[in-house]
Amino acid sequence: MAKEDVQKTLVELSRELQESKARLEEAQRVAHVGHWEWDLATDVIVWSDETYRIFGLSPQERPMDLATVRSMVHPDDREPLYRGVDQDLVAGERPSGEFRIVRPSGEVRTVSSLTSERWSSLPGDTKRDASGRPYRLFGTIQDITDRKRTEEAFQEISRKLQESNARLEEAQRIANVGHYSWNLIENRVTWSDELYRIYGLDPRQGAIDLAKVGEMIHPEDRELVFAAAEKALQSGTPADIEHRLVRPNGEIRTIHSVGTVKRDASGRAYEMFGTAQDITDRKRSEEALKQNQFYLSEGQRLAHMGSWAFNDAGHYWSDELFKIYGLDPQNGAPTVEQYLALIHPQDRASMAETIKRMQEEHRGFDQIERIIRPDGQVRYIRAVAVPVMEQGLFKGFIGTTMDVTEQELLTQELRREQAYLAEAQSLTHIGSWATNFYTKQMFHLSDETFRLHGFDPRNGPIPLERFFETIHPEDRAGVTATLEQAIHTRTDYDIREFRVCYPDGTLRFLRTIGHHNPSSEMGYYVGITMDITERKRAEQEREKLRQLEANLGHINRVNMMGELAAALAHEIRQPIAASITSANACLRWLARDPPDLERARAAAARIELDGNRAADVINRLRSFYMKGVPPEREMVDIKEIVREMTALLRKEAVRHSTKIYSELGEDMPNVLADRVQLQQVFMNLMLNAIEAMKGTGGKLTISSRSTPQGHVTVSIGDTGVGLSVENTERIFDAFHTTKPQGTGMGLAITRSIVDAHGGRVWATVNQEAGATFHFTLPAKTEVET
Amino acid sequence: MKSVAAPTVFIIDDDHGMRQAIHDLVESVGLRAESFATGEEFLATKHAHRPSCLVLDVRLSRMSGLDFQRRLAESGMQIPIIFVTAHGDIPMSVKALKSGAVEFLTKPFRDQDLLDAIQQALERDGITLKEQAEVHDLQERYRALTAREREVMTLVVSGMLNKQTASEIGVSEATVKIHRGNVMHKMQAASVVDLVRMADKLKSSPRK
Repeated sequence: MAKEDVQKTLVELSRELQESKARLEEAQRVAHVGHWEWDLATDVIVWSDETYRIFGLSPQERPMDLATVRSMVHPDDREPLYRGVDQDLVAGERPSGEFRIVRPSGEVRTVSSLTSERWSSLPGDTKRDASGRPYRLFGTIQDITDRKRTEEAFQEISRKLQESNARLEEAQRIANVGHYSWNLIENRVTWSDELYRIYGLDPRQGAIDLAKVGEMIHPEDRELVFAAAEKALQSGTPADIEHRLVRPNGEIRTIHSVGTVKRDASGRAYEMFGTAQDITDRKRSEEALKQNQFYLSEGQRLAHMGSWAFNDAGHYWSDELFKIYGLDPQNGAPTVEQYLALIHPQDRASMAETIKRMQEEHRGFDQIERIIRPDGQVRYIRAVAVPVMEQGLFKGFIGTTMDVTEQELLTQELRREQAYLAEAQSLTHIGSWATNFYTKQMFHLSDETFRLHGFDPRNGPIPLERFFETIHPEDRAGVTATLEQAIHTRTDYDIREFRVCYPDGTLRFLRTIGHHNPSSEMGYYVGITMDITERKRAEQEREKLRQLEANLGHINRVNMMGELAAALAHEIRQPIAASITSANACLRWLARDPPDLERARAAAARIELDGNRAADVINRLRSFYMKGVPPEREMVDIKEIVREMTALLRKEAVRHSTKIYSELGEDMPNVLADRVQLQQVFMNLMLNAIEAMKGTGGKLTISSRSTPQGHVTVSIGDTGVGLSVENTERIFDAFHTTKPQGTGMGLAITRSIVDAHGGRVWATVNQEAGATFHFTLPAKTEVET
Repeated sequence: MKSVAAPTVFIIDDDHGMRQAIHDLVESVGLRAESFATGEEFLATKHAHRPSCLVLDVRLSRMSGLDFQRRLAESGMQIPIIFVTAHGDIPMSVKALKSGAVEFLTKPFRDQDLLDAIQQALERDGITLKEQAEVHDLQERYRALTAREREVMTLVVSGMLNKQTASEIGVSEATVKIHRGNVMHKMQAASVVDLVRMADKLKSSPRK
């Protein structure tokens, strides 16, 4: 080979080497790969330029010393790295690894070191000594920091994605949202776990059968769901529906389902993706909320109560409030002016004042006013406003407004009733009260009660003692005693009459009635007090009148007797007058000269005649009473007559403090008599007896017995003034009387009647006091003949 | 003119004894008595024209004495009445006296009282009868006048002169004088004054 050729080849080779070296340098720089060579025998390390750059050093010719390299390895990685290398070398392995280095600037880089095996096979350069141990190491070092970071970042993203997926799943599970994708081309459906759960299915049970899912939709909603899906497929608008489904266990759930259809470039639908949310619980809460709102508004409606709020946000009125005012909620809450226009003219000024204070002084209110609804109806409104304060700052008002028309009318009615009651008490002079006499507490005292005791109710409360002080001193002890007795025995009381004295000296009669409920406190009484003055006066008047009537009755009786006597007097006077006149005539005949004896005798004869005529009248008297009234005889029960007459004369007897006793024999035979005449007999004898005891009172005894001779004997006895023995016969004569106003006829008539009945009447003087009149009547068997 | 008969006392009393006693008493003083049991009985009897009086019991059984008094007045019979009664009272007696009773006596009465009353009544009746007789006489005379004479008499007593009367009735004064002479003669008047007195009596008396 020629020298030039060799030279040329050498030059060529050198150039090629240079080029090769440059390309390697460039490759190492781009790939951030450097190389090194470590002579184990000399411990000299030669680095490529890129290796220097990786270590953050300027490339230099002089070799690297091992200590420097060692110092630049990250302290945490230093020990493991060198131990690994030693182990690899001992084991004949090629050391390699990743470790961190710390650049002089402090920057940490991660590098990957590889020991290549290619170098040992280079010809002419065995790098092992005779023992076969390598004495030189060649390796590359690559800065993998950026790759490492990317890897880490990727790992982070991947982890986060997984986490996010897990969270989504969790979120979907919590939110009861499931999702699905429906591959329309392959007609295959993928469900999220939650969707399985929503449908009450096990996520692990496998592929979803669309037909089966269709059956799980509530029959009533099936048509709706299918139609929505169809529509979404046709038109492309997302399906958004609520429907119910029936879980395999029969449970019904409500689902909100949204589905979108995905289309390819040609517009062909290839997938439907959607979510399904179980909104059963939400639906229920919504229902509950709606229900609550309904209850609230219904409650307001029922209570006729509306609520309102007035603050920076505006003016809110509840529906019921509009209703109360008869306004249309559509028009919104009224302004203050509009509101005032609704108020009754008579209340408007005061309401305006209230609103003014409310706005200026932030003062709440609670008042009743009248409004006039647009339809003209007048309603009573109770409006309450309360200022809202937050941390001491005024924030507005809230309030309620209640329609209290009915209550107000009731209240007015009650007030009226109370007024009527007071009026009634005042008119009837009846007062009501409730008091505890023991503790001296007074719970209720009507105005009239004050007035009854001479107090003016307008002067305010008066202590119980002062009421007692008005009682007449003579009655006070009695009233107090009765009260104390009642309090201690816990009983009712009725003080029928006591007097009170008014400051002006007026005397009134009161009656007071107290009722004690045994279960209440001791001494607690509810009662009434009434003025009985008028009644008492009326009673006295009535008593006077009754007395007068009784007297009149007596006078009438006397008058009747008087008339009878007058009639008799005329009867008697006639013959007497005639005889006197005849006597006169007789005297004149005798006085004649000569005396006319014949005429005188005739006159004297007439005198005798008239004298007898007068006597006849007296005799006729006994039967006079029966004259013109033919007696009507009937069977009469004496006992019955006694009963009748006793009843008839009871009042008269009481008036004269006389008691009537009757001792009537058993099995008394009836008598045949004129009932009225027999009554007359009893009446006369009983009246006489009562009159005999007038002023002293006493006992009137009626007894009867039947005698063996077939008579009935009746005795009427009194304990009165009595008779003198010689009088017992004369009293039956006509016009004989022992009484100042008597006519002297009663007993004469009695005798006539008894005589006419075939009986006998007589009187006896009682041993102790008074007289007894007896009469007998034949019993029926004898009279019948 | 008729002759005046003996005065008579009529007694009406339903009580027989009383009637007899009064009758006897009246006769015992020499007066004529006639007694009746009832008012009707008395009215049914024709009574002679003579002075009389009536003793009447107020209480007659069928007609009260006061009613009877009214019946008498109505029948134009003027007779003085003495009431007697067994039980008179003041209003009754006032009424009786106002109706023209002479006396009111209560039985039994003093005989003299009754007899005095009877006496007084009879006297009063005597005068009445005399006056009645006089008027009756005048009426008889007046009846004897012709129509023209009555006319002239009326005008004369009214105070007209003959001349005036003549022109009033449309005759001559001479004719009036003749009529006037006839009147004075027939009426038996002594003077014109006498004639005027007669005309007064005629005017005031009941036309019978």
